[in-house]
Amino acid sequence: MSVAVQVHPAVRWRLHPRPRTTELALLAVVAATLIAGAASLGATQRLREATEAGRAIKALDLAPPDPRSLAVYLGALLLVHLVFVLAGRRTDQVLLPAVAMLGGLGLLLMERLPQGLVTQSFGDAELGLGQLQLAWLLVAMAVISVLAAAVRSDAWLRTYKYTWAAAGIALLLLTFAFGSDVNGARLTLSIGPLSGQPSELLKVILVIFLAGYLSENRALLADESTRLGPIRLPPLPYLAPMVAMWAIALGIVVVQRDLGAALLFFAVFLGLLYVATGRQSYVVGGLILFIAGSWVLYNLFGHVQTRVDNWIDPWRDPLGAGFQAVQGLYAFGRGGFLGVGLGAGLPTIGGHLPIPAVHTDYPLAALGEELGLIGLLAILGLYLVVVSRGLRIAAAARDDFRAILAAGLALVIGIQAFIIAAGNLKLIPLTGITLPLISYGGSSLLANALVIGLLLALSDRGPEAPPPPRRRRGLGRFRRSAA
Amino acid sequence: MDGFVLTLWLLRLLFLALLYAFLYAVVRVLLRDLRAASRGPAELGRLVVLASPRGEPPPGYSFPLDVVTSLGRDVNSGIVLDDPFASSEHAVLTYRGSAWYVEDRNSTNGSYVNGARIEGLAPLGFGDELQVGEIRFRLDRGRE
Repeated sequence: MSVAVQVHPAVRWRLHPRPRTTELALLAVVAATLIAGAASLGATQRLREATEAGRAIKALDLAPPDPRSLAVYLGALLLVHLVFVLAGRRTDQVLLPAVAMLGGLGLLLMERLPQGLVTQSFGDAELGLGQLQLAWLLVAMAVISVLAAAVRSDAWLRTYKYTWAAAGIALLLLTFAFGSDVNGARLTLSIGPLSGQPSELLKVILVIFLAGYLSENRALLADESTRLGPIRLPPLPYLAPMVAMWAIALGIVVVQRDLGAALLFFAVFLGLLYVATGRQSYVVGGLILFIAGSWVLYNLFGHVQTRVDNWIDPWRDPLGAGFQAVQGLYAFGRGGFLGVGLGAGLPTIGGHLPIPAVHTDYPLAALGEELGLIGLLAILGLYLVVVSRGLRIAAAARDDFRAILAAGLALVIGIQAFIIAAGNLKLIPLTGITLPLISYGGSSLLANALVIGLLLALSDRGPEAPPPPRRRRGLGRFRRSAA
Repeated sequence: MDGFVLTLWLLRLLFLALLYAFLYAVVRVLLRDLRAASRGPAELGRLVVLASPRGEPPPGYSFPLDVVTSLGRDVNSGIVLDDPFASSEHAVLTYRGSAWYVEDRNSTNGSYVNGARIEGLAPLGFGDELQVGEIRFRLDRGRE
């Protein structure tokens, strides 16, 4: 997808470096944490190998399992930081370290899981899970730094909102027509050697469209001129395009059996409607619609019934339908409070992973086993930091479009993390969706990099107010007039 | 062997402790930022001049707004407009609750929000365009 970015006339290519000390200090803590984690992972793996081989371990060796990829990742973080410094914009300094920590935890996890889980060969070189995740993380960091350093005008998002919406729907239709089936759901679109899940990209497009539409028609939507019995509605012509866009996206997603994405879209839609209009009746109405829709879906589709039955009692069929959920819960249980330590979790049972799709849908269970409750709370805290930062950017945005866009981007990350975390923990029925910034997967990492990069660009507080003019008195004035 | 296990255990705890040290540092930054913000922006909003054919007020100039700001040709207006199409008491901007409103004061040529003529009182969101006579403004948030 190519985008004609309008070059803002005010772009100057002269560099005005601006130090970002907070960001650098936080990144240093991230680096220390990741190095400690990698050292503990490497030592645990060696201890385990030695124990399995019946050898005693002689010397203390704390080398990380793959020191090169850790160094590359930390170097890339420093590079992004330097790009931000050179760009000289007054953008947020907390988002990058928080994202770097989440991405680093994901990298550690992918290096710890069996490398043969996902492989891809490029010529002679065959890359395993950890290396592929590192490659995608580097691409994501590049996307973040380009967006945060270069995007100044939001006109290209605001003006073409219907074009964006049309492109998103076209992408989904393409997937439906030409996509390939994985696990009974048609979500993957392959172009040559690359394949991706367009629904990840669609969530960003949906937020852009909703922000453009809602900011333009905010006052009209908060109005209550249409009456339907006791219910007061905003003027219908202004509600129709938005509801249509939402229904099309949702319908296609339901047909594609991507329930996680459907849930995410619905929640983001309701959240943004509330942010824009401030009316609780929308949320209540939306929840009623949601309950009705869920009931219909439950009765219409077999796979929805399976999910709900699994959620109510996964032990009914612990080796079949409920296998993943049961193994996930056991993993959380084994972790306990402090966890068993990175690398010390249950690796495989009879050559198979205990939790199917642990690298995409269940990374939280693996992290919960190895880092324990205390580590899980820290990870959830990191998501909370990203969301609160996004909402703060929204509150400080200079107009309604930017505010709704920032709030929507923050909500996308937060709601997605909630849906999959709650699904893993059996709080809600499991819907297959990735854990943002931690899960393995190129589309997921790229889409979330777009979100973070846009948030950073939106957080720019603009050029500093010029310092108050220095009052020149006495001799100063004479000197100037003499010169 | 025991020393090794002990070191490993300490390393694991160090990793978790660093994770929380990071969260602590971030929360401190967030709190500092929120405190700075709660001191509040000094201004409720700003009216930026987008286009003005006569150059008074000059394009690009921005007016910090009071709770009530009047616009018109009259020299006693909060924002004086040098425009033959503007009435002497043309429109009033008011900040009510947490939102801006613009009220047309029965002007001859009307006031326009995002290109649509308004009748009496109309809400004005941040980023919206207001046209009075031939002069176009945009409402922005106040500077911190």
